[in-house]
Amino acid sequence: MIEFLLQVLIFPGIAFLFALAFFYEWIDRKFFAKVQNRYGPLYTGFSGLLQPVADFIKLLSKEDIAPMACDRILFFSMPILYLILPLMALLIIPISSQTSLIAFDGDLIFMMFIFTLITVTVFLAGWSSVNRFSIIGSVRAAIQMIGYEIPMGLAMIGPAIAAKSLSISNIAQWQSSNISWGIWLQPIGFAVFVICMLAELEFIPFDIPEADTEIVAGWRTEFSGRKLALFRLGRDLEIVLASALITALYLGGAQQLGFVPPVVIFLIKTVLLLLLFSFLRALFARLRMDQVVSGMWKYLLPMAILQIILIQFGVGV
Amino acid sequence: MGYASTIKVPFGPQHPAFKEPEYFLFEVEGDLVVNVTPRIGYAHKGIEKAFEQRNYNENIYLAERICGICSHAHATCYTQAIEEMLGIQIPPRARYIRTIIAELERLHSHSLWVGIAAHEVGYDTLFMYTWRDREVVMELLEALTGGRVTHAMNTIGGVRRDISADIIPKVKSGLDYFEKRTKEYLGILKTEPTFLKRTEGVGILKPEDAVGLCAVGPTLRASGIKNDVRADDPYAAYDEVPFNVVTLDGCDVLSRTLARGEEMLESIGIIRNALDHMPTGELRVRVPKVVPPAEVFSRVEAPRGELIHYAKSNGTAKPERYKVRSPTLANIPALCKTLLGVHLADIPIILAGIDPCFACMDRMVFVDTKANKKWDLTMDQLKQGVNK
Repeated sequence: MIEFLLQVLIFPGIAFLFALAFFYEWIDRKFFAKVQNRYGPLYTGFSGLLQPVADFIKLLSKEDIAPMACDRILFFSMPILYLILPLMALLIIPISSQTSLIAFDGDLIFMMFIFTLITVTVFLAGWSSVNRFSIIGSVRAAIQMIGYEIPMGLAMIGPAIAAKSLSISNIAQWQSSNISWGIWLQPIGFAVFVICMLAELEFIPFDIPEADTEIVAGWRTEFSGRKLALFRLGRDLEIVLASALITALYLGGAQQLGFVPPVVIFLIKTVLLLLLFSFLRALFARLRMDQVVSGMWKYLLPMAILQIILIQFGVGV
Repeated sequence: MGYASTIKVPFGPQHPAFKEPEYFLFEVEGDLVVNVTPRIGYAHKGIEKAFEQRNYNENIYLAERICGICSHAHATCYTQAIEEMLGIQIPPRARYIRTIIAELERLHSHSLWVGIAAHEVGYDTLFMYTWRDREVVMELLEALTGGRVTHAMNTIGGVRRDISADIIPKVKSGLDYFEKRTKEYLGILKTEPTFLKRTEGVGILKPEDAVGLCAVGPTLRASGIKNDVRADDPYAAYDEVPFNVVTLDGCDVLSRTLARGEEMLESIGIIRNALDHMPTGELRVRVPKVVPPAEVFSRVEAPRGELIHYAKSNGTAKPERYKVRSPTLANIPALCKTLLGVHLADIPIILAGIDPCFACMDRMVFVDTKANKKWDLTMDQLKQGVNK
């Protein structure tokens, strides 16, 4: 029991995931800056390594302003929920061994549910702050979800059909025992999933809900101080979650390779995915809402369905 | 019931899409703009009044401070006006030097704008790169004039500094680098699918509207109207240096972007040509301190479009009235027309499409709508920050 508690609280649980979230934010900022011919964070810690932590602490100490007109219960609870949801989702993904901390049959469905819930949290956070920009941002987040949710669900189901299991740990194990990763078997599904994750993470070209030149900070406009700090940490955890989930579903998860412990393999794979995200977000301009939704339904959804059909015909299983 | 069919979305006076304070109130139905109300005047500096309180020499430097981007254009326009009142011709070498600095300024202004336009559609990578390469032009301007922003090259009757022969190779190599990069960025802008999606067919300004609403500069030329003060009413050395007036007939934001890109290439050609054919001789002629009573208009093609200065003298050492019409002001009616019916998400890039410089546009009298009275401010009051 104590061992389980330690696992949840320290490794590979909450403390490890927080450290990972800050570390990945640093990698993202640093790499994004390099692509843009900038330096990125430099001063705090080695090459600015502690900058995300410093930002977090600074925001915690800042004044926390709540608008007079806001829906107080929602406004105060949404930042906490936004932090907890990705954290909880990460516990059902295998990180330090082939099996996740909490594994049960059907946790893939639970994962989809959490992704939807994150967007609902975003929507409610923007809506509760009663600001024109926040409301536009939250509505945009909800509309964007209408675009990417179904292709994302299909892309998550693809590996599950191949592995004949609805448990993320089992899917990852099936890939490593089968010595063939989902990315080789189902490349279309992988591409669809990466695009959907960019949309879920609100990265360029899908950073429409928080487009800074259009609607200030979008749904986050009214949040400051502690709440903004929680949102930022939640976002970092979401990045970890996205790369961890793709790793588990399409890259064979946390495998044991010889003497290399699974957590190292996990870190390598997720960092590579993170670099892919950062690189993609440096390449494009921001799309418009209608372009995103119509593009998702016209191209992404047929691609995801095509992948499922291919699996049904025995390709990629 | 009880819900308004439109919601009002304010842009400004503080908004990330604006680098300067200005206010536009959009009425949005769904995602489409149905009405726009501009409210200008947030960056009023009282410059026209200040002109009347300084002598003609001091005013050169004041004119230069109307705008931080097109400082040379304003100074040229001012000195041209005063020279016309005095009835003097400036030496040919001075005309060439004015042209070179003006075109370098156009280069840095346009590359700044390309960066801003990319930033407005979320294309921050291009923004970082164009601004990095803009530094080359800024350094050339500093090497030639001593100042990155305000160059203080113009004086009444000529220019203050010479362009020596030993700096010309440096300018040319800087231009070579900048030309290479500009061509590359133009290629990116023409082919990057997400950028095209956001700019192609967005913010249409029909040629008849552009003319009818008095648009100027690249905004007008991107609607297919060939209008450029440099060609139509040549000043400085533009009558001797060959160049093309860039026009595009896309009428959209993409055309406005590409028009500026092509203009940058033309500017590079103008500078090269002017450097090669610069005549030798005097830099300036001596001028009297007192200007005879007269009224003049002076026109210059600033990077953003046609810039008009009006001066009226009364025979003393200070102008009696001075009026500046900056290109941004001329583009505002066309801008408001362009903004009708667009998506909310397209507002920033369309607003940026005219290359707005609100700080050079804003000059106004103070109006109290309740008491219905108007008043100007003296310089001393402005210094104290009094606005009543």
